Amino acid sequence: MCQKEIHQTKNPSHFESADLREDSPTHRDILWEDYEHLIKDMRFFDPHIHMVSRTTDDYQMMAKAGIVAIIEPAFWVGQPRTGLASFKDYYSSLVGWERFRSSQFGIKHYCTMGLNSREANNERLAEEVMEILPLFAYKEGVVGIGEIGFDDQTALEEKYYRLQLELAKKTSLPVQIHTPHRDKKRGTERSMSIALEHGLDPSWVVVDHNNEETVKSVLDQGFWAAFTIYPFTKMGNERMVSVVEQYGSERIMINSSADWGISDPLAIPKTAALMKQRGIPLEVIRMVTYQNAIDAFAKSGQIDVADFETEFQPDPNAKFHGNSILRGGQQPVVNKNSLLIQ
Amino acid sequence: MANLPTKFSQFLFEQSTEKEREWLEEKVKSNVLDLMTAFVAAPRFLSKKNISYDSKFSGSLVPEHPGFEVDGWSFVRLARVWLLLHIPSGPKEQFLKNIETLFDTAELNELVALYSALPLLAYPLEWLPRATDAVRSNMGFVFDAIALRNPYAELYFPESAWNQLVLKTIFNGKPIHLILGIDRRRNKELSIAVSDFMDERSAAGRRVPIQVWRLMGGASDEVLHSKLIPLFSSESKLEKEAAALLAFESKDPKIRSLLANEPDLELSIQNGDLDWSKLESIPE
Ligand SMILES: [Zn+2]
Repeated sequence: MCQKEIHQTKNPSHFESADLREDSPTHRDILWEDYEHLIKDMRFFDPHIHMVSRTTDDYQMMAKAGIVAIIEPAFWVGQPRTGLASFKDYYSSLVGWERFRSSQFGIKHYCTMGLNSREANNERLAEEVMEILPLFAYKEGVVGIGEIGFDDQTALEEKYYRLQLELAKKTSLPVQIHTPHRDKKRGTERSMSIALEHGLDPSWVVVDHNNEETVKSVLDQGFWAAFTIYPFTKMGNERMVSVVEQYGSERIMINSSADWGISDPLAIPKTAALMKQRGIPLEVIRMVTYQNAIDAFAKSGQIDVADFETEFQPDPNAKFHGNSILRGGQQPVVNKNSLLIQ
Repeated sequence: MANLPTKFSQFLFEQSTEKEREWLEEKVKSNVLDLMTAFVAAPRFLSKKNISYDSKFSGSLVPEHPGFEVDGWSFVRLARVWLLLHIPSGPKEQFLKNIETLFDTAELNELVALYSALPLLAYPLEWLPRATDAVRSNMGFVFDAIALRNPYAELYFPESAWNQLVLKTIFNGKPIHLILGIDRRRNKELSIAVSDFMDERSAAGRRVPIQVWRLMGGASDEVLHSKLIPLFSSESKLEKEAAALLAFESKDPKIRSLLANEPDLELSIQNGDLDWSKLESIPE
């Protein structure tokens, strides 16, 4: 398969660059039948996934694969928002409808709130967003300020990054940093040094979208290092296994960052299966696919593991503001293997 | 804040721990943005308990609104309403913008607090569109916050909106006797709608909640008379009692005479043993 061609024809998400150097071919697809037995009885926590862009099919497969809880960071919806009202509605959906939809599949939904770096460059709008952000940051189930950081590394991005670090301090919430894809190494260093400059405890900061080039410095400085398993770009899961082999499980976590791009909401279970295959100890797998994310974000005081560790049965009759996800007569669980759609 | 009832604060602080009281008092000394943020952040700093209600405060928390009751509220809801009452009401434009922002960014529990506070907020008529929106809402808790035990609708809703609220309460199977002013705002239009509703239900072989009958008091004598005859011969004790109450309230001699066959019921109404409150279903 020609990786280069894929790069040129896929729309990149999460601010990917067309820079191929860091994106060696790595992602390997595995069929459910091939890895189902490997992850049996494992429990996963995806600390970075954009469910508003995903379908109910995804939720069903995620639940089946053992994903019990997720964090949805506030982010870029693919096109710039033109007014404050769109931000309000988007943020509201993260704590409202999407959380409800998730619960219908037995998956506990948290989110982080923030103004993304790209839209920080629209200063007029950014000012307005900053005014309402505290009203969302304090809402129940908000586990951090995120994802914030740099894209183009402009002065405006820096301004709003700093302001949001202050907000995180004020609200006692962890920070989830989106590191840029262009000039990543420098962007990551800059993000970290600004966070330290603002007096943030690195154990309260999750640096996201790491790669082999950035991981050492992130860990050495005491931050959490998150890795995004995203097909064709970012990390592949085979590379991820090597990172875990080299660095162990301390302060390392894996996420899917699945969104409206070509991404994989099952990235975590698949990577866990691969790690199992490669003989990585179960406890290490558990730390990087579950426990570390909980430890990092539970500092918000908003995560109660009893909500997803005790056997959870979604209530199919529950409604969100009087609306159900189920249209007349639908059942919450559909047999995906059936050819007939009844 | 001038229009903040003393007993309301007193009651709130009786429910608070010392630490909670400090937090609340500090927040209202702060600037508006911090105050609004505190409204959102309240569950992070206050206990999630439901408040225990003391009868000494019953009907007196807000003296000008004796129907304003907080029984069964969460402590956070009570505190949120209290915080809202500290948002400076002037200049008007700024005040309206602040409250609108809270509405626009609110999640469910915040909406409940906002609607609960409407009768106490400055410029009450400005909130009419929000309040009638809440009646249209599918969110059960939001609907309850505006419809039940809230003086706002009786005071400010025009008749059509008022009737919608009452009808929707009936449709939702909620306790209509918790609508403040339900008897004071009886009207002919509402009686017609309720009468139609009852016909529809009886055609489907269903009964209406017994409380709905009290709304028929505003119907024309002729309509009422035709409804009461079968009601008096009902096998249900409650329906008979409702019929007796309606006949007793009527000024029409023909309707009053229906009561002649039920001397026991008439007597217990005269003695004050039977009134509409005796027919109330226990609210959930
Ligand atoms: Zn993201």
